Amino acid sequence: MEDGKLKTGFMLSPLKNWKAGLFRHETILLAVLLAEWFYFDSVGRRFGTLDNTFDILRHSSEIGLLALVMTPIMLTGGIDLSVGSLLGLCAILFGKLWRDAHFSPGLAAVCTLGIGAVAGGLNAALITRLRLPPLIVTLGTYSLFRGLAEAITRGVDTFTDFPASFLALGQDRLGGLPTQAWIFLSAAIGVWLLVHRTTFGRSLRAIGYAPEGARYAGLPVEKRLAMAYVLAGVVAALAAIIYTARLGQAKADAGTGYELFAITAVVLGGTSIFGGAGSIHGTLLGVATIAVLSNGLVHARQPREVAGMLTGALLLFALASGEVSKRLAKFRAHRHSPNPATPVSASHSP
Amino acid sequence: MTGRSPFQSVSKYFRELSVAAVLVVLLLVLAIAAPAFFDAPPLFSRLARDTPTLVAACGMTLVILCRQIDISIGSQFAVCGVCAGMLAAGKEPAFVVCAAPLLIGAALGAVNGALIAGLRLPSIVVTLATMVIAREGLRWTQQGAFVNLPDGLQWFGLAQRSGQWALIAFALLLVAAMAWVMKHLAAGRFVYAVGSDAEAARLAGLRPQLTTFLVFILMGALTGLAALMNLVQSPQVDPKSGTGIELKAIAAAVVGGVAVSGGRGRLWGVFAGVLLLACINPALTYLHVEAYWEKAIQGAIILLAVVADGMRSRKAREAS
Repeated sequence: MEDGKLKTGFMLSPLKNWKAGLFRHETILLAVLLAEWFYFDSVGRRFGTLDNTFDILRHSSEIGLLALVMTPIMLTGGIDLSVGSLLGLCAILFGKLWRDAHFSPGLAAVCTLGIGAVAGGLNAALITRLRLPPLIVTLGTYSLFRGLAEAITRGVDTFTDFPASFLALGQDRLGGLPTQAWIFLSAAIGVWLLVHRTTFGRSLRAIGYAPEGARYAGLPVEKRLAMAYVLAGVVAALAAIIYTARLGQAKADAGTGYELFAITAVVLGGTSIFGGAGSIHGTLLGVATIAVLSNGLVHARQPREVAGMLTGALLLFALASGEVSKRLAKFRAHRHSPNPATPVSASHSP
Repeated sequence: MTGRSPFQSVSKYFRELSVAAVLVVLLLVLAIAAPAFFDAPPLFSRLARDTPTLVAACGMTLVILCRQIDISIGSQFAVCGVCAGMLAAGKEPAFVVCAAPLLIGAALGAVNGALIAGLRLPSIVVTLATMVIAREGLRWTQQGAFVNLPDGLQWFGLAQRSGQWALIAFALLLVAAMAWVMKHLAAGRFVYAVGSDAEAARLAGLRPQLTTFLVFILMGALTGLAALMNLVQSPQVDPKSGTGIELKAIAAAVVGGVAVSGGRGRLWGVFAGVLLLACINPALTYLHVEAYWEKAIQGAIILLAVVADGMRSRKAREAS
C-alpha cells in the first residue's frame, strides 16, 4: 500500500506498480464514462447542453443517494435490497403526513427521515441481533415495505398538489445548480469522509474482509453493521423526499427497481460484492456511468427498455471482469512466488 | 443424544410440523368464520392457480439448499410463457408447445448457472441482472401486448374441472417424485452435501460447481413448466405474468423450513409453506381484510420465519 491511503482496502493486488494506476477500476470507468459522453454528444443534438446535464443530475440524485449508502453496506459484505421499497413507503408516508395529518412539509420531512431510521433499524436489528443473512432479511423487508405502501394507499391513492416552496427542492435551481444536486453533493462528501477518513469506514472494510477477525480485533461489529443499515434507511427517506419534490407526486410504486440501479452503480464502481474493498469515488463514477447511459440512450432515440437491459449487462460484465482479473492475478502470483504461499481471497459464501 | 424416542422425531421435524400446524389452524379458523372458503369450484380453481407457484417453489428449494438464490425466475416465467404462447398461436404441434418453455427455461437457467457456478459470481447479483435483462428484453420486443392462444390449448382441451384436476394431480406427483429423489437418490443427497459444506463435498469426491450448475438448469426447466401450467389456465398470455413469483417461491421455501444457510430443508415442508401462503390472500377476502395487505403480510411472514430460525440457532449456539 505505497500510497498510504489504503484506498483498495485489504485487497492484496500483485500489480502494485505504475501499471496499477493505469488499470485501476476507477480509471477504466472514467474512460468508459468519457467515451459514453462523446458518443452521445455526437449522436444526440441536445445531449451536451447545460440543461440536459442538469437533467441528468436531477434524475440521478435519488439513485445516487441510494448507491452512496449501499457502498458502506457492501463494504461489510452485506446487501440491502429494501432501499427501493423503503423509498416508496417513505414517499407515501411523507404525503400522508402532509395531506392527512396537516404537517408542514418541513416537519413531515423530518418525521419521514425518522421513519427511515426506524425502518433501517428494523433491518439492522434482524441482521445483527439474530445474525441473519442480510440478503434474506432485506428481501423480506423489500416485500414488507412495498406491501405497506400499497396497503396504506390501497393501491390507488396518489398524493399531489404539494406547495411550490416544497417542489422547488426537486425542480428549481439554487446558485446555478439544481437544488437537489447540493444535497447529493453534501451527502457524497459526508459519506466519502465517513468511509475513507474515519475509523468507522476502516472498520467496515475490516468486517467485510473477515468478520470473525474484526470481532477478535475488538471491533464492535454489531454496532458498526447496525449503523450502516440505519444510515441506509435515513438516506432512503431523504431520497424519497427529493423524489416526491421532483415528480410533484407520491405513489406506492415510487422507486421500484431502484435497488438494482444502486447495486449496479456500486459494483460498477469497483466495490467487491464479497466485501472488504471499494470506494465512494468509484461508486460516484458508477452512478454517473449509469445516469449518462440511460439519458443518452433517450437522446439517441433508443427505446427506454434498452437502458435497463444495458444496465443489467453492464453489471454482469463488471462482475465477471473483476472475477476474471482476480483469478489472473492469483495465477500470476502463484507463478512468480517460489514458495507456495496461499494467495488471500475473500470468502465465497454469501 | 443417541437414544431414540418419539419426541426426537418430533424435534427433528419440528420446523415442518409447526408450519403444518399453522396451516391447520388457519384452515380451522376459515372453516368456522367463512365456510364458503371450502366451496368446491372456487377452491379447485384457486388450487389450480397456485400449481405454478408450487412447481417454482420446488425448484427454488433446491437452489436455496445449494446455498444460492434465484430472483430471475419471474422474468424467465414470462419469457417462457410468451414464447410458448407464440408457438401455440403459430399452430405448432402440441409437443413443441409443451417442450419449448422447458427448454427455453433450461437455457436461461444455464446462463445463470454458468455465471454462478463457472465464474463463481454471487447468485443474488447475477440473477438480479438477468432478471432485468430478460424482463426489459421481453418488454422491448412485446411492448406489453398479450398473446392470444388458440381454442384447443386451454385446459389441454379438457373440460375446466378435469383440467384443474389434471394440473393439481400432476403438481402433486411432481412434488412427491422430487421429494423421493431428494431423500433417496444420490443426486438428491449431492445437493444437500454441496449446500451444507461445498469444500467437504469436494473432498468427498463430489463436484460442487457442476451440481450447482445443474440445479440452476433444473430451476429454469421447472420455471418453464410452471409457465406452461399457467398458460393452459387462460385464453391469453400476459407478458407481465410471473411478476413476483420469485418472492412467492422464496417465501414458501423459507416458511417451509429451508435454511437460507443451505443444506437443510425438506420438500414437504415447502409444500405446506406453499399451501399456507396460497391460503392467505383468499383468507383475507373471506375474513373481510383488504387484499392490498397481501404483499405486506407475505413480507412479514418471510421475516417471521427467518426470525424463528434465527432464534432457534441462537439458542443452539448458546447451549453449545
